Amino acid sequence: MMLARVAENLYWMARNLERAENTARLINSTTYVLLDLPHGATFGWKNLAEIAGLDDLFARIYPEANEESIMRFLIEDERNPSSIFACVRYARENTRTLREVLPAAMWERINSLYLYVRQHAQAACSNRRERYMVLNEVIQQRHAIVGLFSGTMPHDDVYQLIKLGRNIERADMTTRILDLHSAISFPNDSVVREALVERIWMSTLDSLSAYQTYRRLVSMHVRSNDAIRFLLQDMRFPRSVSHCLSEMEAGFRLMPKSQQLQQLTALLRLKIAQHDSDDLDAVALHEYLDLLQMQLGEIHDALTQNYFHAWQGAVPQTIQTQEEAGFAQQ
Amino acid sequence: MELARDEYATHTAYDELLDRELKLRPAAQPLFDYLNSLNDGELAKRQQAVDATIMAMGITFTVYSEAGNIDRVWPFDPIPRVMGRKEWESIQAGLKQRLRALNLFINDLYNEQRIIKDGVFPAEVLEESANFRPQCVGITPRFGVWAHICGTDLVRDKDGTVYVLEDNLRVPSGVSYMLENRQIMKRIFPEVFRTTNILPVDDYPTQLYQMLASLSPREDEHPVIAVLTPGIYNSAYFEHSYLAQQMGAYLVEGSDMVVGADDIVYMKTITGLQRVDVIYRRIDDAFLDPEVFNPDSVLGTPGLMRAWRKGNVGIANAPGAGVADDKVVYTFVPQIIRYYLNEEPILANVPSYLCMYADQREHVLANLDKLVVKPANESGGYGMLIGPRATPEEREQFAELIRKDPRNYMAQPTLEISTAPTLVDGKLAPRHLDLRPFVLQSDKLYATTGGLTRVAMRKGSLVVNSSQGGGSKDTWVVEDAA
Repeated sequence: MMLARVAENLYWMARNLERAENTARLINSTTYVLLDLPHGATFGWKNLAEIAGLDDLFARIYPEANEESIMRFLIEDERNPSSIFACVRYARENTRTLREVLPAAMWERINSLYLYVRQHAQAACSNRRERYMVLNEVIQQRHAIVGLFSGTMPHDDVYQLIKLGRNIERADMTTRILDLHSAISFPNDSVVREALVERIWMSTLDSLSAYQTYRRLVSMHVRSNDAIRFLLQDMRFPRSVSHCLSEMEAGFRLMPKSQQLQQLTALLRLKIAQHDSDDLDAVALHEYLDLLQMQLGEIHDALTQNYFHAWQGAVPQTIQTQEEAGFAQQ
Repeated sequence: MELARDEYATHTAYDELLDRELKLRPAAQPLFDYLNSLNDGELAKRQQAVDATIMAMGITFTVYSEAGNIDRVWPFDPIPRVMGRKEWESIQAGLKQRLRALNLFINDLYNEQRIIKDGVFPAEVLEESANFRPQCVGITPRFGVWAHICGTDLVRDKDGTVYVLEDNLRVPSGVSYMLENRQIMKRIFPEVFRTTNILPVDDYPTQLYQMLASLSPREDEHPVIAVLTPGIYNSAYFEHSYLAQQMGAYLVEGSDMVVGADDIVYMKTITGLQRVDVIYRRIDDAFLDPEVFNPDSVLGTPGLMRAWRKGNVGIANAPGAGVADDKVVYTFVPQIIRYYLNEEPILANVPSYLCMYADQREHVLANLDKLVVKPANESGGYGMLIGPRATPEEREQFAELIRKDPRNYMAQPTLEISTAPTLVDGKLAPRHLDLRPFVLQSDKLYATTGGLTRVAMRKGSLVVNSSQGGGSKDTWVVEDAA
């Protein structure tokens, strides 16, 4: 039996940590892409905030979208609740309220990640080389945290909620990293263009630690259709949307009162499996990814309602016996 | 180990480990044998290990004035304070006697008030008590016990007498530091625990759990126990979390619970509502239930008092128990013990002057330079005057406060509280300290083995409160030499 507030904090702690890691991946991917861009191709900085779903907020805070302002916004700006620093800070605050349900070492790990980001965020904003190193370190430390979870925690509801938060955020962020392509306007020369598309997909795969796996499991050539299919549908790769959804299904199966959530998740996974992603142009891909993000949002809403607000409406309003009140037994 | 001999040369207070000739007291012998067996530099190395351990274990104490910075490590001194078992057992008996009497007193105040009718306790003290809760009148909680958890502050004066300084009956804190301090000592000095017979302290969470479980209204069911915390910005949040974890209880905030129209307390879980049987509350009465007390409180849960009055939930300490946690009531404790138990007090009270009585007030005002004056209802060392160390202006200001509100002040002679050797710049220097044991009462009585030793880390300072720059030490009760 778990308190609704504790459950909500666990879920958001996991989402925030995953978001921090994936934002680091998104930025790393962007940085690779930039290095690869030939003359005639341009990168839309504004689109990067849009991919992250934060364009309105960005426009309110910064007058101009350029590399520096976007990096500040995504890495260190606390006014952006999805910046890496803000996510890590929220995760740390959440962890503070969860010390009695988490392994003792968890607080130390998350605290040290927080201290690291606080100290290095600024350097990561202004200098590309520093940025890559710092963000990689964030990813490494985050891996140590996930390792601690899976290596030391009993597989109870606490564990499942963390796993659910991690996977729903990861699925969402994978769709956003895929969407990076919508930020690039390609040159007209078709030969240059084709080579560029391949290079950019290589960067995308690489940023998700998927490049080697892709080459081993799919093909030595990186083609956009294959890469999209791989990152959306391939059940073997732990950052693909389908894999995340199946992890969530498994998590829901072990949670109480989860029938509807299991169905919702399974349904989305099936839809993705059946979707024909061949020959999607950039616009169609962008729209499809938007749709997936919305559907993940629906699962999130259902989960929130089901677990964090389950008590609403159950409070005895008039004097009645306990049986009539229908409160949950342990 | 080298003593700071210059400091000890002019030393007049009682030292817990050394006698007047700076010879070791018998209980301290094994400790010093051990410390002397360490190589040069070893102690410093272990002190560093302590700091790292504290950081890693995340033991922190928040100070309100440091807004935004909610982790502050509380200084820990690696040299323990040591007591012999025989002496400790007599103190323990005194602590239990005291709490037993105080609970009879509280229950009497909320019911027949025999002690007032019999002229032992003045009605006007009760009338002006800030912690008397009219909402509790007529209630007798289970076992007649109101203060289930008491943190009693003890000090030792120059002549070696142990005095009770105050009884903390509201939401006493510090027990987690007692437990963690022992954990730290075992990590850094494992050898000495093999060679010396140091009595364990770690049964406290079990005792606390059993005490709380005994308050459950549903006797046939496994009780659901919740620790009610004001949240992470409270100075003792670490302790709330720690105790909940140690007991396997739920750590809840006020908004995690709801009281139904059936007057039953529920907590909000992921599958709906779950009945709560016992609440170990770590928030003050005033914030407990906005239906009854402070209506603006967002820390409590509306309806808790309804549920408690109906006997549907156990609350420790009971609302209103603080009536006996008052520096004026304190002065009556010896009479309270004699009145209810017909026993002589085992532990001494510090001689005290009540400013509410004209003759005693005149004495206080005439001797402000020699006395410590305390407001009746403050804790944590706030709002007090240490006469000998105050400026004439400060004393005059305080005299004015006393004349305005005499009931709110009491005064005591300045005790020269005892010291123990404390590691300062690589040497052992005398630093003043007190001791807070914790006493539990429900159907039975329990007192911790030793307690939390707080030490004033600054030379000559008498203020040991963690909120005022004090630190802490492990407290050893050891078998007396045969």
